[in-house]
Amino acid sequence: MTDSVIPQLIRKDLRLHRLQMAITIGAGILALVVMQRGGEVSLVLGSTWYFVAIIVLACMLPVSMVVNERKKQTLAFVMSLPVSSTQYTTAKLVSTLLMFLVPWLLLLVCALALTTTGNTIPQGAIPMVVIMALLPLIGFSVILAVAIVSESEGWAIAATVVCNSTYGIAWYLITKTPSLTVNWTRHVAIWDQTVLRLLFAEFGSVALMISLTFFLQSRKRDFI
Amino acid sequence: MNDLAIELTGICKRYRYFSLDKISLQLPQGEIMGLIGANGAGKSTTIRILMGLIHQDAGEARVLGHPMPAEQVAAKRDIGFASEDMRLYDSMTLGWHMSFIQSIYPNWDDSYAQVLLKRFGLRADQKIKSLSHGQRVKSTLLLVLARKPKLLVLDEPTTGLDPVARHEILRELAHVMQDDGRSILFSSHNTQDVEQISDRITFIDRGRIIDSMDKEMYLDRWRRLRLEVPPGLHLPALPGVIDVRQQGRLAVATANAFVPDLANAYETRGARVQCIENMTLEEIFVANVEHSREEVEA
Repeated sequence: MTDSVIPQLIRKDLRLHRLQMAITIGAGILALVVMQRGGEVSLVLGSTWYFVAIIVLACMLPVSMVVNERKKQTLAFVMSLPVSSTQYTTAKLVSTLLMFLVPWLLLLVCALALTTTGNTIPQGAIPMVVIMALLPLIGFSVILAVAIVSESEGWAIAATVVCNSTYGIAWYLITKTPSLTVNWTRHVAIWDQTVLRLLFAEFGSVALMISLTFFLQSRKRDFI
Repeated sequence: MNDLAIELTGICKRYRYFSLDKISLQLPQGEIMGLIGANGAGKSTTIRILMGLIHQDAGEARVLGHPMPAEQVAAKRDIGFASEDMRLYDSMTLGWHMSFIQSIYPNWDDSYAQVLLKRFGLRADQKIKSLSHGQRVKSTLLLVLARKPKLLVLDEPTTGLDPVARHEILRELAHVMQDDGRSILFSSHNTQDVEQISDRITFIDRGRIIDSMDKEMYLDRWRRLRLEVPPGLHLPALPGVIDVRQQGRLAVATANAFVPDLANAYETRGARVQCIENMTLEEIFVANVEHSREEVEA
């Protein structure tokens, strides 16, 4: 027997929820196609659909992969296997992150590829696109942390509402920051200190949420 | 490893409205223990502690020689656990579940799994959501039994099953015990099921173990004496008698340590013994719980 069943648990989750991943990728690609048609309406419509597809996935995955495990009483089945609560948390974090990162990264790469090859958006907007695209990843890590630690649908929904309300404010603030928008219309991407600091803060937030999840899970005394 | 499959010593667990109070019990390897208690008595909490799913506030839990919850991963490699509130993945087939479990347990016996499929009337290609409650329970047990665990921990596995399904499951558990090395802890509030397969029985009530001994010993030691009492005579509870209920000229004495001399002792006090009745396990359980509660409240 292998020492750890974490790989089997990850494979199980990927198998159970692969449809959600496929639907997001399909919807995201459709949004990118719309964006490429040209014109302001297509750009607004396509970019809205693009972010909606990512945000919906960020909201759905923690509920369907974590909260439902308890709600549908399959958690007892998983915990009857040779697995500790820390191993379960690791498997859940890895599988859920993978399920989000694969479509998120694929769509981000596609969006950047379209930006660099097409004429719809200037290449100077690339740093802004990356900064904005990272916000749903932060939101996802917050909702996932709340879902894993609380195992409660109510708290997961509350976290979703808070995150979804924050995206609009965050995007507004980013687009109103002169040091970021000054390079927007340039023909080359400028990765200055402001951009790098923001990216560092965004990745730091994701890392913090993951660490916090492990810390709080390790303090739990009752797992079922 | 010692020869105890389960060893709980002074286990305490406190919640706001319920607590387990110094639970101690031992299950030798190769035996079947029935854990009987009313709803909310503490059966599931005790089982979750010995599975490492809940951490005890005090006391020691060892399962197959492993301290719990510290070595739960190692212990659970040899434990087959099924509980009444355990569900499989609705959207997947039983065959997928079998492959999943097989990928985790190298002891998985596929030929035995096929035998169980036939015996339980299940189909591997059927999705879990299309199964009846009885078929779901049987599916869970198939997944547990085919991995050939040294210890089976079953938390109310027969709850909600029809008599035929219950019989099939109890027959399979009896079959499993032909392997001498196996042990089973079987919790239920259905005394008939427990009585059928258990070697040893433990009663739990309000978070306390109130009695634990061999099944045959319970049936040997517990008796109900129906007595006719002359007017004005009040019968005392003699040694070995836990309860005397007197109504007019008739009295019923419940003995938990019956000896033939007990009947003579009542007759010398002026009562006439009408009959001495054996008690079923359910009657013993109810009398035991009532006696325990009266003792606590006194």
